[in-house]
Amino acid sequence: MVVKIGFLSLAHMHAFSYAQALNSIKECKLVGVYDSDKERGEKGARDMKTEFFADPRTLLEQVDAVIICSENSRHREFTELAASYGRHVLCEKPIATTREDGQAMIKACEKAGVKLQIAFPVRFATPAMRVKEMLDQGQIGDVLAISGTNHGQMPGGWFVDPVLAGGGAVMDHTVHVVDLIRWFLGKEFVSVYAEADSMLWDVDIDDCGMLSMEMEGGVIVTQDPSWSRPRTNPTWGDVTLRIVGTKGVIDLDAFAQNFVVYDDVKNKISERSFAEDMDFGLIEDFIHMIIEDREPSISGYDGLKAMEVALAAYESARMNKPVTLS
Amino acid sequence: MIRVGVVGCGIIGRIHCEALQEVPGCELVVVADVELANRERAKKEFGVSAVGSVEEMLAEFDVDLVDICVPTYLHEAVMTQAMRAKKHIFCEKPLARSLEEGQRLVALSAGYDKKIGIGHVVRFAPAYEGIRQSVLQGEIGQAGVVRTFRGGSQFPVGWQDWFADFDRSGGVIVDLLIHDLDYCRWLFGDVERVYAKTTQGRTTARLEHAMVVLRFKNGVIAHVEGSWTNFPGQFYTAVEVAGTDGLISFDSRKTNPIVTATVPDTRAQIGPTAVNPYALELEDMVQAIKEDRPPLVSIDDAFATLEVALAASRSARTGQVVEL
Repeated sequence: MVVKIGFLSLAHMHAFSYAQALNSIKECKLVGVYDSDKERGEKGARDMKTEFFADPRTLLEQVDAVIICSENSRHREFTELAASYGRHVLCEKPIATTREDGQAMIKACEKAGVKLQIAFPVRFATPAMRVKEMLDQGQIGDVLAISGTNHGQMPGGWFVDPVLAGGGAVMDHTVHVVDLIRWFLGKEFVSVYAEADSMLWDVDIDDCGMLSMEMEGGVIVTQDPSWSRPRTNPTWGDVTLRIVGTKGVIDLDAFAQNFVVYDDVKNKISERSFAEDMDFGLIEDFIHMIIEDREPSISGYDGLKAMEVALAAYESARMNKPVTLS
Repeated sequence: MIRVGVVGCGIIGRIHCEALQEVPGCELVVVADVELANRERAKKEFGVSAVGSVEEMLAEFDVDLVDICVPTYLHEAVMTQAMRAKKHIFCEKPLARSLEEGQRLVALSAGYDKKIGIGHVVRFAPAYEGIRQSVLQGEIGQAGVVRTFRGGSQFPVGWQDWFADFDRSGGVIVDLLIHDLDYCRWLFGDVERVYAKTTQGRTTARLEHAMVVLRFKNGVIAHVEGSWTNFPGQFYTAVEVAGTDGLISFDSRKTNPIVTATVPDTRAQIGPTAVNPYALELEDMVQAIKEDRPPLVSIDDAFATLEVALAASRSARTGQVVEL
């Protein structure tokens, strides 16, 4: 079986990495790209060596599943459209910008009998998978505390548009770490306190913040989602977790596997990864899930729970007090 | 020549005694410690007199400066005695264990005509001083987000295991993170509010991990983290300051110019600087006396830092935000 895939929007740059994975997996075929921005869609389709579709419906008629890389606030409309055509969905994170939208997406896919998976690729980073095994084996005993970071550079574009993105750094960079920790521990977050502000860049949206949370069973967690990497940073950012247990500590730096290139011509120092491509792992898992007709490894519910933490963080930052999650 | 008496010659008192050997213009003449073993060790190592109590020290020795290195919960009692004896005073951090103790000491120090300095030694650490200069010079523009880490080494064992008695030590936040809370105050000024979490009370394991989120009045958001572990780990510290024009990043694990491995198997990472921060803070104290000026860290300054640490501690206990 060859799974036919289409992109609904290329607004999120992760689409290009996903396309690379699609083009190297033989059980799937990239059929085409729809984008409401015709210029971006046509250029993207050329780069991906695939076809541009001016109407998403025409594309949907020809595929088994879609990957949605639109602006966050448009995830719902594209998911509902795909579900109405009976197509499976891999949706970029965060699932949506409101609880209602996230729930509607889950409901639409359930009703149509199609799979909905959320793109949290860090679960497919080899170091993260290894840490999951170590924790499951009880190598550091019971987990008591976690301190996480998901730093990045300021992405600009629609990411700093409150309506299209649904939030700034906190929305963009909380959900990865929250999802990873939910997966590691199999526990839910029960309270969130956050500071969020625009302190670093000339943008009208939170570009930095700090979350302090508690999980079921009293595990304490902090998370730094700030767009605090400068333009001169040798890489885009980081995902790190310090996990403190009753019998030891694990320091995870998910993207530590780099060598450094000093380039006098471009006047630039950059870190180059030699790790396995986590986006490939995510896409391969999605394709195999469809072929094997199993449940998604990262469900719409997982996406909803991660987004709820980010939304609670904004509520907390507005009120300057901790917020309890239901 | 400033004549110095060190009160409490355990872990930190011994470090002060060593540092005092390097400080010009002063002389360590006597130590006071209730433990015979500590007295004998000090006599042997530093060739000084040793007595069993601060009372004996004050009665029998003519010292100019009393250097207080007893456990935190005894600071108030010893400092009060030293003030009654009209001595110059240097006291290890934290100033005191509780707000009330701190307030009484501050009240007692009003109009005191001798010098009082508090040992917030991180202000004298070369890397931290360098980072401060860089921030103050605006090299990274306006600071926005700050992270610090301190810890990784094994839960300390002090006299009568007082560190493990959180009523006496305050644990990681009050004893250890107070260094970084003081440093952040030094850089960014007053704290608006604090929200903190710690494993204290959440486990019976002999460890503590604490994470403090601060909002400063100037808008800076800070994450101050640290630990005492239940295994023999490597102590390290880290600082990161992100600003509008760049980022400053320091991790002591990456700044060891000498790494050794030997037969039999011992490994060490050594980061020597020619200056010893403990000697620098004591030199500042001695110079303050000689020049009749305030020492770098005043009792009022140390009290303000203690207020932040105790606010963090209270937040961790109650689960609520504490406004300062």
